[in-house]
Amino acid sequence: MLSTLIWLPIGGATIASFCSAKWARIVAILTSSAILFLHVLLLRQFNLGTGEFQFSENLPWLPNIGLNYTLGVDGLSLPLLVLNALLTWLVLCFDREVKERPRLFYVLILLIHAGLSGAFLALNTLLFLLFYEIELIPLYLVIAIWGSKQKNYAATKFLIFTAVSGILILAGFLGLAWVAPAPKPVFDYQSLRSLSLPVTAQIVLLLLLVAGFAIKAPFVPFHTWLPDTYVESATPVVMILGGVVAKMGTYGLFRFCVGLFPEAWSLLSPWFALWAGLGILYGAVTAIAQKDIKRMVAYSSIGHMSYVLLAAAAVTPLSLVGGIAQMVSHGLILALLFNLVGIIEKKVGTRELDVLNGLLNPLRGFPTVSALLILGGMASAGIPGMVGFIAEFLVFQGSFSKFPLPTLLAILGTGLTAVYFVILLNRTCFGKLDNKTAYYPKVLSSEKLPAFVLTTLIVFLGIQPHWLVTWSETTAQKISSRLPSNAIVQLINLQQQ
Amino acid sequence: MPSTLIEPTTKLPPSTHPFAEIIHRLERGGSMLPDTEENLMQIIGLYKAYAIPMDFYWRDLLYIAERVFLDPVPAFKYFLPKEYLELANHYAGDNADLRIWRGYATAHKELLEFIEKGELKARIPKLFHHFYHDRINMEFAEECMRAMFWHRNMGGLLEPYMDSAEYKQNADRAIRAYFRDNPIMLGLYKLFPDMFIEQCRQATMYSVLGLFWEVMCPVFLEMSDIYDEGGFKGVPDAMNFLVNGIFAIAGRPIYHRVYIRGEWYDIVPKSKGFTWLYEAAFPYVEAVFYRTSPFRGTKSYNAQAREVPDDQNDFHYGILYADKFPVASAGIPPTLLHQDMYHFLPQYLVDYYQKFCRGADDMLIQLGVSFQRSMYNVTSAVIQAGRAAFLYPLDDPNPRHLWANRYYFEGQLNRFANPKYGMNKAARILAIQSQDYR
Repeated sequence: MLSTLIWLPIGGATIASFCSAKWARIVAILTSSAILFLHVLLLRQFNLGTGEFQFSENLPWLPNIGLNYTLGVDGLSLPLLVLNALLTWLVLCFDREVKERPRLFYVLILLIHAGLSGAFLALNTLLFLLFYEIELIPLYLVIAIWGSKQKNYAATKFLIFTAVSGILILAGFLGLAWVAPAPKPVFDYQSLRSLSLPVTAQIVLLLLLVAGFAIKAPFVPFHTWLPDTYVESATPVVMILGGVVAKMGTYGLFRFCVGLFPEAWSLLSPWFALWAGLGILYGAVTAIAQKDIKRMVAYSSIGHMSYVLLAAAAVTPLSLVGGIAQMVSHGLILALLFNLVGIIEKKVGTRELDVLNGLLNPLRGFPTVSALLILGGMASAGIPGMVGFIAEFLVFQGSFSKFPLPTLLAILGTGLTAVYFVILLNRTCFGKLDNKTAYYPKVLSSEKLPAFVLTTLIVFLGIQPHWLVTWSETTAQKISSRLPSNAIVQLINLQQQ
Repeated sequence: MPSTLIEPTTKLPPSTHPFAEIIHRLERGGSMLPDTEENLMQIIGLYKAYAIPMDFYWRDLLYIAERVFLDPVPAFKYFLPKEYLELANHYAGDNADLRIWRGYATAHKELLEFIEKGELKARIPKLFHHFYHDRINMEFAEECMRAMFWHRNMGGLLEPYMDSAEYKQNADRAIRAYFRDNPIMLGLYKLFPDMFIEQCRQATMYSVLGLFWEVMCPVFLEMSDIYDEGGFKGVPDAMNFLVNGIFAIAGRPIYHRVYIRGEWYDIVPKSKGFTWLYEAAFPYVEAVFYRTSPFRGTKSYNAQAREVPDDQNDFHYGILYADKFPVASAGIPPTLLHQDMYHFLPQYLVDYYQKFCRGADDMLIQLGVSFQRSMYNVTSAVIQAGRAAFLYPLDDPNPRHLWANRYYFEGQLNRFANPKYGMNKAARILAIQSQDYR
């Protein structure tokens, strides 16, 4: 089952690469639809009662170096897998923006999907790193080929940052394998979890991994690749990038940093929480200063990913559920916002806040797109009734008891999110269309469909959050239970001193 | 095929006015609207689409002025009785006083069909059509009336007459008769006589506008028929038809009478000699075209930023300045008149709109722009009529006379060039020079 989720898109990509552009699209749509269907089946068969890995697969690959094909899914990876499948399906089914070399585009998107799925499913650190690095190549290509003016600069910057991230993570995994008290290097996740390492070694290795994943997520100050990459990428690419790819960073944080170094994590978590709080504020304040709506949404992402860091730092069952929900929520909302911003840019020809105005005009504007943008902005600002509120509320509720100050900073950041979205919506949607310029082409129904699908999910999961959090509750409980209690952490602290 | 313009034998040096090109066009007998086939098609199509709701407007305005009068709860004032639908227009049909339209005098067939079935194309009780806004929107006509009534003092003799003792005496007679069996309203009248007289003045304004549109409706219908027969060669022809019509009709009476229990009460008697051109046409153009139109797309203004003039004469929110886009919030639909005209667009105009912008989706905006073009043409006709009435022929050999004409034209166009309160930016005169303004 799990292998199919990886190999089906690779198979689809292989077939599509031999077809004409038209048939490549059909193959891509059929493949992504099949993948989405498989994910629905996976959801149906997933056992909510256990926090262990399910549907596990284990094949020896290169046992001598510890690289095995070990896959498994739990409540942490399942929501992200589904998010990945959904966004890929939306991009492949409804995107009409890519006119140039469409076949290559479909192939690369399928390969990115396979890489992401592999990373979310891998239970071997080397296998994870393999997928983590493999998806970098198609990602670089989709940014560099279909991006806008500064695409080469953005793609190269993305490549360099992510490569450094990969090196840091590799260093962390190798270090872990070598330090582990075992006859030969250990890369198997389950085995690594049962190891007991000295706290100092844990801290050094943890910091390597945190730095690596912080680049991918990204967290301040490792974020500088993000605005350029998001802004220069084509709409479907940035939907995948912001929606899922960035989640690999936070997924790695949960899976490997919290999962493998519980003592070290507990020791450093106050600093991580403070880092998260400051990151949220930084993201919000820089977003307020932006004049380009796509850049504004991009900066909003920096702040919103830090909520996940806060949740991870707190490591309470509630905060972990909130963190996972925030990954999904952010993926949906960011994909929606980038989709809508992309439509506006395509139709109006600009993303400048000072130029855009009155798009809510019922006859000559984009009333539906604007209405959805307002809704997306509200969801991102954590307005109740939408999925963003649920995720952020769980994070705050789960984190406040452990880290009140960073949580308060995060709440302040949520208020600032409302500020920049009000600025964006006020200038973009409201006001008056200019007589001289308002001859924008109509937005076709097919162009609006992805936004409708995403909006439906955002609202539905906001009203019925059970469908979002139920998958990860047991896993969150399990991760949280592995962490030492406060008393033990204090003891470790004393020992360190 | 553009119509031939006048080539004056005496040439003046070029105007240095910001709208010099338009002034030169007016001096040659042209319109403010450029002479193109597309413009002609748009304005005539719009005249036709305007004429049919206008047929309802004038009938209902007279009904309100004459029958509803001071009804304190005029809930059914937009439900036109059969009598008023069959009321003979004085300028159409075989028995017309002055026949303008070759058609018939009773309500237009398309209008009757619309009243019966509405946009829903269903025979359901009138009240349902009404509440669904599936009707002719009299609110537009009433706003035009209120614009005229609010500005007042725009010339003419009716204005001072409405403040005269004679008018008050006539109104008093009608008010007492109207409320004869209603001691409460009579008591209120005794307590607040000025309020009732003011309401009576408003009813007079209903009548004035109704009588104005009674003329314009057949004018527009006839223009549409002439165009359909291939009669107009260009925009100036259409404008000249209006100019000639204005002169032909200028002396028609303006009056106000009220029908109470089988008896007519004259409030503004015909015998006072108030005429159509001075008491209705000029004030209408001034109030609705220049100063305050009921178009919600009118330029946005902010009193705190001193964008609203202190003097009513300085108002510049009329149709000629109207923005095609709604203001205040982007969600307000275009004016109700657009909706009314939308139901009666000739097919050639529907086909034309389908080709541009968003086709059927933004037809209300496109027809709004066409309406603005057509009203610039009507304003041109009024300017030319004023020139013909008070000044000199365009081919006058005397340069002093031509200079007087030029000063007049420049004076008229100065209203669009005035930077005060941003009038020059709000005026759409430059926009309509381009065919791409849609």
